[in-house]
Amino acid sequence: MDVKREDRVGIVVFLTPALVLFTLFFIFPIIYLIIISFMQWTGFNTPVFVGWKNYLTIFNDKVFLRSIRNNLIWALCAGFIQVPLAVVAALVLSYRPLGWKIFRTVYFFPKVISAIALATLWAAVYNAQYGLLNGLLRVIGLGHLQTNWLGTLKTAFPSVIIYWLFYIGYYMIIVLADIQGIPEEYYEAAEIDGAGRIRQSLCITLPLAKTSIVTCILLAMIDGLRQFAEVYILTNGGPANRTTVMVLYLYKAMQNYSYGTSSAAAMVLIAIGTVVILTIKNTLGRETF
Amino acid sequence: MKKRRLSPGAVLLGLGKWTFLIFLFVYAVFPVLWLAVASLKTNGELMANPFSLPQVWQFQNYKKALAVSGIARLMLNSVLISTAATFLNVLIASMAAYTLSRFRFRGNQVLKVMFSSGILIPLNALMIPYFVLINSLGLYNTMGGLILVYTAIGIPISTFIIMGFMASVPEELEEAAIIDGACFYKRFFTLVFPLSRAGVVTAGTFQFLTCWNEFVYANLLTSSQAVRTVQLGIRYFTNQFATDYVSMYAAIIISILPSIAAYVLFQNQIIAGLTSGALKG
Repeated sequence: MDVKREDRVGIVVFLTPALVLFTLFFIFPIIYLIIISFMQWTGFNTPVFVGWKNYLTIFNDKVFLRSIRNNLIWALCAGFIQVPLAVVAALVLSYRPLGWKIFRTVYFFPKVISAIALATLWAAVYNAQYGLLNGLLRVIGLGHLQTNWLGTLKTAFPSVIIYWLFYIGYYMIIVLADIQGIPEEYYEAAEIDGAGRIRQSLCITLPLAKTSIVTCILLAMIDGLRQFAEVYILTNGGPANRTTVMVLYLYKAMQNYSYGTSSAAAMVLIAIGTVVILTIKNTLGRETF
Repeated sequence: MKKRRLSPGAVLLGLGKWTFLIFLFVYAVFPVLWLAVASLKTNGELMANPFSLPQVWQFQNYKKALAVSGIARLMLNSVLISTAATFLNVLIASMAAYTLSRFRFRGNQVLKVMFSSGILIPLNALMIPYFVLINSLGLYNTMGGLILVYTAIGIPISTFIIMGFMASVPEELEEAAIIDGACFYKRFFTLVFPLSRAGVVTAGTFQFLTCWNEFVYANLLTSSQAVRTVQLGIRYFTNQFATDYVSMYAAIIISILPSIAAYVLFQNQIIAGLTSGALKG
């Protein structure tokens, strides 16, 4: 609708609260981080300008480099293992097999439980003495594989990131909704041409559901980059910083009153996030957020 | 339809399909069920065999969980904070969505892009600015502080969802209302807002779940039990219960019960919301 004179005040009134909140909680924080990332600041002293020193500090810190590495692995697993699993599940459920609604409901269920509760639950699963996983291994006669999953250098990080890879419900529902909106005629035509179900999925469904799949990849990868609660609860970054992630790093720097290095780490996270988003949009598709 | 003869390949594919579906199903429910059963055992039974059923159902674990964790208070805090933040968020986002989806003015497109790019900002990176901001507003360790933060961080996604629904309200309806002399506010409150109720409820449901489950800022911006939320309570379970695992499991189950109840009650709403395509961009 074109704006009429008498609507102008209303538009300003209606936009102002959202704009104020957006400025305070999205724009201002990023500007603030940029400034503080060039300062030496404990939160108590007057901030002192130190140039690129904070960035040099974190990029010379093995723990931060490992955080970046872990986050990238996490984001890649989320985008290219978790989402494809969700797409496969959506494809299968789109043919409405027996009980598909029940599957859909149950798959989404972990999404309503908080990350912190799920992590606490999985701490119980991984527990070396009473845990479900070791118990399961004993029952099926693989007792020799039992280990302290979260406390061993080799198994800690895989344990932390694998458990939620199979919680695909959120992405599955977004993709499934998109697939169910594809007109039936396309498939009827393909049927006449003799294309089987797999062929139909590959040549009709996937291309037509591309936007929602790319959106899911974006959401999943950003999710992988901003992980915190899982690691904080399960390992707090240990053993020997094997499971550290960027948000945990910047949180710990903040707790140590190194606001400058914490801000620099935050800026690196935002920069990596931006690069990931732009890369995905430029290679896979623009028509998303 | 004539019945197709099943080739070995088709059988294998069917087997693979069902294995896949059932694996994901078990994976989603089994850990929670296991925890629920374990929470009714004694610590001795749990140690002896993690899979056995309890000899006697130990409901006193739940009594103990409630007493030790003080979770009732935390639940009340969570309800107050999440409800307030959801109400404010949905109201503010609807107002913004109304102007952005229905009026052509300079900067409209820029604002749309700005709000939707907010969805992809990794908010956990903004701990220091939020900490400083909330402190300087004098809202550290208050429910008001958390309500403000939660209202704000949900603005981009809620605006985005509601915009999609509001854009589909026919323009003719609003033009008819204008002819009837309805002002800007009247058209919003009596026409466009009610007609996009489905979108508002969807955004609200997601906002509520986000608030209820939020941990990072609840952890950062509070320091006393009086304003803490359930999620923070869970964090302290391991300290509070030490080696009393079964009571801790009971506390975890108590803390996720409201989410499960909400999901069971609102699952159609949640799934319909996602299914409406509002989130696919």
